[in-house]
Amino acid sequence: MTLKSLDPRVKRLGIPEEWDTPLSPKETLDQFENYEAFIQVKEGKALEHVGPVHAPNEEMAFLFAKEQYSRRGMFCNALCVVKTENIIGTEFSDNGISIYDAVTAQPSGIENQSYEVFHLLKRGKQHKYVGTVMAKDFEDALVVAKHTYPSQKPVFNVWIAESEHILTSNEEDKDMWETLKEKQYREAIDYKGQDRIKAYKERMGQA
Amino acid sequence: MYGGGNVFEAMKATALAEEDPKELAKFEARIDRGEKIEPKDWMPQLYRKQLIRMIEQHAHSEIIGALPEGTWITRAPGFKRKLALMAKVQDEVGHAQLLYSAAETLGKPREQMLDDLVTGKSKYSNIFNYPAFTWADSCFISWLVDAGAIVNQVANSKGSYGPYCRALERICAEESFHLKYGHHCVIHLATGTKKQQEMMQAAVNRWWAPMMHFFGPSDKISVHSDILMRWKVKMASNDECRQQFLDMYVPKIWELGLTLPDENLHKNLETGMWEFTEPDWEEFKRVINGDGPCNKERLAVRRMAEERGRWVRKALLAPKTKYVAPLA
Amino acid sequence: MNTEALKDLLYKIADDQLILGHRNSEWTGFGPLLEEDIAFSSMAQDKVGQSWQFYKILNELGESDPDTVAFMRNADQFHNCKFVELPNGEYDFSLIRHFLFDTAEGIRFNMLSTSSYEPVAQLAKKIKGEIKYHTMHANIWIKQLGSATEESIGRLQQALDYAMPYALGIFETSKFEADLKQEGIFDGEEALKAQWLTQIGEIIAETDLRMPEIQSLQPQLGGRYGEHTEHLQPLVEEMSEVFRVDPTADW
Repeated sequence: MTLKSLDPRVKRLGIPEEWDTPLSPKETLDQFENYEAFIQVKEGKALEHVGPVHAPNEEMAFLFAKEQYSRRGMFCNALCVVKTENIIGTEFSDNGISIYDAVTAQPSGIENQSYEVFHLLKRGKQHKYVGTVMAKDFEDALVVAKHTYPSQKPVFNVWIAESEHILTSNEEDKDMWETLKEKQYREAIDYKGQDRIKAYKERMGQA
Repeated sequence: MYGGGNVFEAMKATALAEEDPKELAKFEARIDRGEKIEPKDWMPQLYRKQLIRMIEQHAHSEIIGALPEGTWITRAPGFKRKLALMAKVQDEVGHAQLLYSAAETLGKPREQMLDDLVTGKSKYSNIFNYPAFTWADSCFISWLVDAGAIVNQVANSKGSYGPYCRALERICAEESFHLKYGHHCVIHLATGTKKQQEMMQAAVNRWWAPMMHFFGPSDKISVHSDILMRWKVKMASNDECRQQFLDMYVPKIWELGLTLPDENLHKNLETGMWEFTEPDWEEFKRVINGDGPCNKERLAVRRMAEERGRWVRKALLAPKTKYVAPLA
Repeated sequence: MNTEALKDLLYKIADDQLILGHRNSEWTGFGPLLEEDIAFSSMAQDKVGQSWQFYKILNELGESDPDTVAFMRNADQFHNCKFVELPNGEYDFSLIRHFLFDTAEGIRFNMLSTSSYEPVAQLAKKIKGEIKYHTMHANIWIKQLGSATEESIGRLQQALDYAMPYALGIFETSKFEADLKQEGIFDGEEALKAQWLTQIGEIIAETDLRMPEIQSLQPQLGGRYGEHTEHLQPLVEEMSEVFRVDPTADW
């Protein structure tokens, strides 16, 4: 016997009325890795953290992030993804104190590795991309970032990732981010009903 | 889409006594200043537990919430409705993804949450255990169930936990499309042909009781809700949300010539509060505990999706993979 | 311009996109992981949206309005290939179909972007970004699952072998091939098929999958002229169940 349903799709799945066995619990690893996605809302703006996706690899993370975070394309001009484990974050500071205040070392001067730097300027908001630094390692990159990208406002948290760990959208694939005006059905603004309500009320008033 | 009526973790009076008083004071001061708590910050165990539980229930409600409306995804009438419903149900899945991620930042892996959903260990919003008999039911859900969820989500988006608030901001922005789309559909049915009007009225009659249940029973004043409010985990009481919903939407329902199946429903002009027949909370409990019209189907569908997808996930797993929670 | 030839071309494209978009939309909520549910739904929306655009062009050429055309015909009036109407099956078949069909779709729209019929050329250019995403998505998945585990390779191979005769039905010769070519509207199914074989061959070569012996296969034809499998009529009835309650009503 298969499960009854009002949903024709469910009927086609042929789900048994009763299962013989309980669901075998997932193996601990039955979960893809996390990737963090960053989006540039428009030309000239900084890339901004939007959230994670689970994916088996970088390329798929990119595809998934595109649909999860930019399917309303007017909010997206470019996208990049980084595997979460490849981002090193500092501790969080608060109450107007910058996390850079605790960074006292001087740049090592060894610039053999390229890093990308992200700042959090308000707790509760998103990390934003500030730029690239050349440094020896993560700690050194933090030091270099402090000197290269001084901030008027306190920086509450910094994320750093090696540049080569970041997958960014290609300039030549720009057309992938365009949203056709035919996709207006996804937007609230496309649904106007007041005229119909008014006409209905007038009709009722006359009746 | 999620209403109130969260099932919170039972709390021991001693739970807070075990926490470091200095850290606790810092944590509470941060919340009092209106600053958000971020994943790496120190937080009381209780705060972590309650948040996981609440966000997880919310996430489950989105993924299960995709099913009643999904019932009509292949049957939406006309291109515009067909595309919009596809996009709407897609958004629900997207919201589940966002919320599971927010819960993950607190340390519970997504796959474990999905397991707990299928085995019935964790709950989701009761309203999705009711069937969508006709197209009009799906319109009711798109408009009014989403409207109820927005009331709740807007309140929660002002809470204290950063990742949850950020997820809710994205979600609320998308819900405004759901709300407008749903309203548009209901307007067309309610002001349409006689057949359409009857279809819509019948759906309203079916869904009103679950809708009143949606926000959960009256919150009892307790130490429990007191501390959750203080920590900005729970932002508004179930009754406040229900009143706000009634205030915003009952007039909009009435103006379409639809009636609501509760003759006691009216606004008391002196108190400014809506009065109504007390919902049947016994039924609410029965359904939450598994005995609703669609509980079995909803979980069976999720289980089927898990089983059928297993070979795909297994094929792509890298053996060295270690679990790393999202950062924010 | 030979309007009959043009309509013949537009109908088959529109019907393919509509029916496959409809099939793909069935996956929402049931996919192997949440992220893929979202991705698959976007492609379903793209396809249904594209079909709508093609029906609008047909409407300008004198056919009924898009809703009526899409929701009021019976199966034998549809011009889609049989491939797109087959039930979704498991994810292996859906994915293989997505790969085989969308590769052809990409080439077809690329060819159409230089069509002498301006409305079609413009539309083909406009949706280039959507199509690019579809092929990228399909290729990445096929490369991954096609060289992962014994199970995933076996499943995809089986799906590929089953799907191939149907996929060849995409290129069923039109009654108007010569006219379409002559007027510069479309380069024809043969040219499309040749490019398609090269492209899917390249991707399959990067996996552990085996390309079926194309020469020995009997293509599943007939769809372009109303001959369908037993799956299409129920699909059409399901799709239009609400619409047909009152086709004159405003839903």
